[in-house]
Amino acid sequence: MKERSVIHFNVADFAVSVERVVDSGLRQCPLIIAPLQAARAVVYDMSEEAFRDGVRKGMALRRATKICRGATVLAPRPALYQKAMTAFLKEVLNYSPLIESGFADGHLFVDVTGTHRLHGPPPDIGLRIRRHVRTHLGINPIWTLGTSKLVSKVASRLVKPVGEYIVSPGDEALFLAPLPVALLPGLTRQELRKLEEFHLTTVGALAGLSRQQLMVPFGSRSDYLHDISQGIDDSVVSTSSLTTTQTVDCEQSFADDTNDRQEIEAVITDLVSRAGQCLRSRRQVARRVGIWLRYSDGSHVVRQASRRVGSNSDFVLHNLALSALQRAWTKRIRLRSCRLVYDRLHKQSPQLLLFPDKGVRERRQEKLLGAMDTIRNRFGHQLISIGSRSSIAGDVRSTIH
Amino acid sequence: MFPLRVRSYYSLLQGTSSPAALCRQAKSYGYTGLALTDRDNLYGLWDFLKSCKVEGLRPIIGAEVTEPGSKKCITCLVRNREGYSNLCFLLTNRHMERKFSLATTLQKYAEGLVILCRDYELLKNYSRQGVEVVADLGSRPTEAGRLLRHWAKEKDIICVATPDSDMAEKGDFQLSCLLRAVREGATISDAQRRGRNEKPGWLADPREYWNRFVAWPELVAATERVAALCDYTGPEFGVVMPPWQGDDGKPAGLALRQKAFCGARRRYGDDLGEPVVERLEHELSIIELMGFSSYFLVVRDIVHRKGEDGRRRKRRICGRGSAAASLVAYCLEITNVCPLKYNLYFERFLNPGRSDPPDIDIDFSWDERDDVLTKVLSDFNGHAAMVCNHVFFKPRMAIRETARAFGLPGYEISEVIRRLPWVSKHLSPPWPEVLTLAEKLIGVPRYLSVHPGGVVITPEPISSYVPVEWAQKGVPIIQWEKDGTEESGLVKIDILGNRSLGVIRDCLHAVAENDDAPDEASWQPEDDVATKLAVAVGETMGCFYIESPAMRLLQKKAASGDFEQLVIQSSIIRPAANEFVREYVRRLHGGSWQPLCAEIGDVLDETYGLMVYQEDVSRVAVALAGFSHSQADGLRKVMSKKDKKLRLENYRERFFTGCAACNVDLVDVERMWQMMMSFDGYSFCKPHSASYARVSYQAAYLKRHFPAEFMAAVISNQGGYYSTFAYVSEAKRLGLKILHPNVRESEIRWTGQEVWIRVGLQSVKGLSADFQKRLIRERGEKQFLSLEDFLTRTKPADNEVCALIHGGGLDCLSETGNRSALLWQWASFQRVRKSASHHSLFNIILPQPPLLPMPDQRTRLRREFRVLGFLCDMHPLQFFTRHGRRLVKACDLADHKGRRVELAGWLLSGKLVSTSNGEVMEFLTFEDETALFETTFFPDVYSRYATILTSGKPYILGGLVEEDYGALTLTVHGIQLLRR
Repeated sequence: MKERSVIHFNVADFAVSVERVVDSGLRQCPLIIAPLQAARAVVYDMSEEAFRDGVRKGMALRRATKICRGATVLAPRPALYQKAMTAFLKEVLNYSPLIESGFADGHLFVDVTGTHRLHGPPPDIGLRIRRHVRTHLGINPIWTLGTSKLVSKVASRLVKPVGEYIVSPGDEALFLAPLPVALLPGLTRQELRKLEEFHLTTVGALAGLSRQQLMVPFGSRSDYLHDISQGIDDSVVSTSSLTTTQTVDCEQSFADDTNDRQEIEAVITDLVSRAGQCLRSRRQVARRVGIWLRYSDGSHVVRQASRRVGSNSDFVLHNLALSALQRAWTKRIRLRSCRLVYDRLHKQSPQLLLFPDKGVRERRQEKLLGAMDTIRNRFGHQLISIGSRSSIAGDVRSTIH
Repeated sequence: MFPLRVRSYYSLLQGTSSPAALCRQAKSYGYTGLALTDRDNLYGLWDFLKSCKVEGLRPIIGAEVTEPGSKKCITCLVRNREGYSNLCFLLTNRHMERKFSLATTLQKYAEGLVILCRDYELLKNYSRQGVEVVADLGSRPTEAGRLLRHWAKEKDIICVATPDSDMAEKGDFQLSCLLRAVREGATISDAQRRGRNEKPGWLADPREYWNRFVAWPELVAATERVAALCDYTGPEFGVVMPPWQGDDGKPAGLALRQKAFCGARRRYGDDLGEPVVERLEHELSIIELMGFSSYFLVVRDIVHRKGEDGRRRKRRICGRGSAAASLVAYCLEITNVCPLKYNLYFERFLNPGRSDPPDIDIDFSWDERDDVLTKVLSDFNGHAAMVCNHVFFKPRMAIRETARAFGLPGYEISEVIRRLPWVSKHLSPPWPEVLTLAEKLIGVPRYLSVHPGGVVITPEPISSYVPVEWAQKGVPIIQWEKDGTEESGLVKIDILGNRSLGVIRDCLHAVAENDDAPDEASWQPEDDVATKLAVAVGETMGCFYIESPAMRLLQKKAASGDFEQLVIQSSIIRPAANEFVREYVRRLHGGSWQPLCAEIGDVLDETYGLMVYQEDVSRVAVALAGFSHSQADGLRKVMSKKDKKLRLENYRERFFTGCAACNVDLVDVERMWQMMMSFDGYSFCKPHSASYARVSYQAAYLKRHFPAEFMAAVISNQGGYYSTFAYVSEAKRLGLKILHPNVRESEIRWTGQEVWIRVGLQSVKGLSADFQKRLIRERGEKQFLSLEDFLTRTKPADNEVCALIHGGGLDCLSETGNRSALLWQWASFQRVRKSASHHSLFNIILPQPPLLPMPDQRTRLRREFRVLGFLCDMHPLQFFTRHGRRLVKACDLADHKGRRVELAGWLLSGKLVSTSNGEVMEFLTFEDETALFETTFFPDVYSRYATILTSGKPYILGGLVEEDYGALTLTVHGIQLLRR
């Protein structure tokens, strides 16, 4: 079998890097990205200098600015980061169609296996992409090359925040052996704790144990642990995240966390209207909604609600979302973000029924939504909304993908 | 208009205003009286009666009674004494009976009550039963009210308007919403929304009710007629003593005399001397005169519990409070110091002029106390219950609850509370709003807890005096706290828990196994020279009441070790008496002194001219200001009360006037008054101090002669002044070796003998009580042979095995001592057990573990410290680098008197105090590998370093070594955290 070549690109502190491209004056000072004009904002991203001072993602902005007094604070601009990510992706797509990326986070796995004749050896590709991205986009990604996602990812963690690393085929075990086990991806906190208890601190020490031996403390995870300790990773670079139409996913982060029911229900209504519009534009209906609530104490809850017949009506989807909310929202603690995921999607049947099962009210609602979609497509989503919705306070982030 | 239905904040988490605020408001509106009708309780009865008296209002006693599981609610107003008892019975029933129904239960207790109700079914039912009912139309005319009025008219039932209020004024709405949020676990926004919809009532101006009910004015007028029916102004029980039934109907006085003389012969021998007989006769006559004989006998029966064989056995006790001044009590063996030997005045406890009943308080070993209480409550079933505590919102609790209602996460709340009040001006929204609202919540009652030991026993069923309910921990409690109980005349007995009695018991038990135990009947630890020497140099860590840094320093300064001095020292150490402590030491070492004034004579000669005991306040007031004994006793008592300001001012005036009449110089009077004020807060009487000093000496004796058994008992009984870490260090300083926990050797408690003590399973964090018992039981049947054997038989949980391995408890079952391998074998055992059938015929055999690296020493000890909280073989300070500094060891401080030094120290404990200027300073105790040392952080240093001071952390301290009468302290100038 031919050796694979997987390059991992990682732009450390992606949001900060993008902001520094936009305003080069920010390069000299520590930078914190967090919602402004919100009394209880938390850190969205921070530069390396701020990180060294002790600032972390999710930390209260007030505290962060106290820890890192000289930091400049900017409001997050998700649309800008998404734009930069798209541009980055576009550049990489010139070299391979097999790209796996996160959502505007600066991470890309690129499978360049077999592209030697077209683009030259893989290290050249890495270097060229970095040079090109640095020249044209102004960002400087880490790039690492390995025979699998695992090896390139570990190499990336090793050189962070800047640099490059090439692991030659066959050297994987040798490369991994002296590294601490904490650099291996995909290990849970409990597994790391267990490894520490057995005093297995390096990947090499872990690799010294057989599958049968690892079976004793790690059960079904033993194969995974054994493989990654040997540098074995057969997972393919998956492009599904770029093209999926299996879900409609929308999220809203509160600039100021809240536990006001009216405000949260207003946000749900807004998210539902966005999701509904998306479904209608795709001519799809959804049968299930999942709600993700992230609390201010860092915990999160996921609950679902489903129905037998799919729908893309805001009114039906709204009721479904409210049932899920009721199941999910059981604590008084304030919410930081709220995410709705509609799935179990299928095509809306174009066939009209001989005996319509919808009443007059439903048909009117359908027409109303159609009219609203037209207006929104032309003038923007915020222009028109359902009357019961109260205004949403603060700096919110909403995405659909 | 007479407000017939008003709830105070004793309607827990519902009402917002105190009875006093309600009475003030009622008075300002011109009401002639007020009916307080809290929900299902009479918690606020005594506050209400007192406030009505102050405002000149006519009180009507009442309560709302609800039916669990339904929305039915009636309001009961008391007409007479019988009605009061019935209300108490009804409320007791409401709380204690599983099936309580308003429809069926009320008829039995309706006599003497007026019932306000708005439920048709109940109204019909009660009218049929001949109960005095009134239709309650609430605070506003409504459609439902119109129908009820119409129906009541047909049935010839009186209708009234009532405030039905939770607030004294409309402005309390926010607080009302907050209380609702706390009660229901709701968010503040939800509570406010629902509050606005439901329109809660407040106590309005009478004109407002006339305006509201302008269409039905007879409803407002009728309130006066109903109020006129209720002319009962509150219970007057007199002094209610516990009943004694014993010795075949023999009168209590006679029985007490016999038992007292019998006890005296046991204490003093058959030939009782004249002083004993005289004192007994004197005391018995007063006890008989004041009707206290049965009280003494009941307490004696509690202390001398009747066993299954019918014989009484004395429990280990320590009499506390003024009762220790009674020779009768000493002869009955309910106190433990001889009042004759130590010159204790009986009149401090009981005198014919004393109007309020004194308590007899007894300490039992902390782990026997619950058993004592259970037996008392079962012996006097239906006639006994414990006193409750009304727990009010304190600042921290108020802030926490308010912040929760605002949805703030727990870590943020803890962080802000920890940093208050320094951060209060720099907080982000919604914190300013939280703090403002929380301030209103402070002082509002939240729930009832159980008083530490107060029990009331009554001759009639206790529910005829006061409503009784179940406390969370399953004991019956009365609805009044200590002050209300005292005010009502119910005499309580305090049955308290004392850890040191457990320490002494366990130590004596351990020593007895080696036949070394002293004979308790003749044991006089205060006469033992070695013990005296140990006390004189402050080697009393672990000893009851004399182990705190302040006490140890005082003993070092006093350097006497005498029992009499210890009695004085136990009492003089109190928060507001620092300058008198210094003066005491000076005078003790021969410093000259004059009486407080010439007129005082020799009243305070025994205590070097200083007021040391509570009774000294009374004695000075009698001697100089011409107070009567009961007036002087009143002055003493008022000092320990919470709301004393006004009354104290009265006493001050009388004291100054009295002294002026006796021509005492004004400067002297002022000085004496200041000295009296040092008794503010808590202070002791001499009998109490003597009683405690006796226990202190017993502990000091055991520590001196049986250190291993003693330190094991101290750590096992827990709850001392210091942490287990500090006691382990003390044990090491005593030359004892600390043996690791060991599943083949360790008991649940710590054990000690000669030169070692063994860690008990109780100190391994994470071991459940069930597992500990199972381990001991299995080991008792057969010693553990291997790890497999241990795991199979004891069935531990994962965290329990990990804790045992990290603490070294399973080292004995490992061939190599490799704890990593032990962990692996445990994982292996779990895997095998999971895959094997549950009833395998064969024993589990574990495969050999792989060759795992042993944890390095630092990791091993770090884990050990995490599990045990201390290290058996080393001091954690040894792991911290000191960057080549020239540090002094604590044991060498004496060589550096008057010099500035630097030394490393592990912070053990601290005591915050306030200077006369109101600045905060702290006395902190540190230790290094060699000794303990005491430090002083004066306000400027303290304010600089307060944020980095945490118990259980290592520091480098710099400061000046100072000596005061032989006691060394370090006055700290700088401190920094020591890092690895």
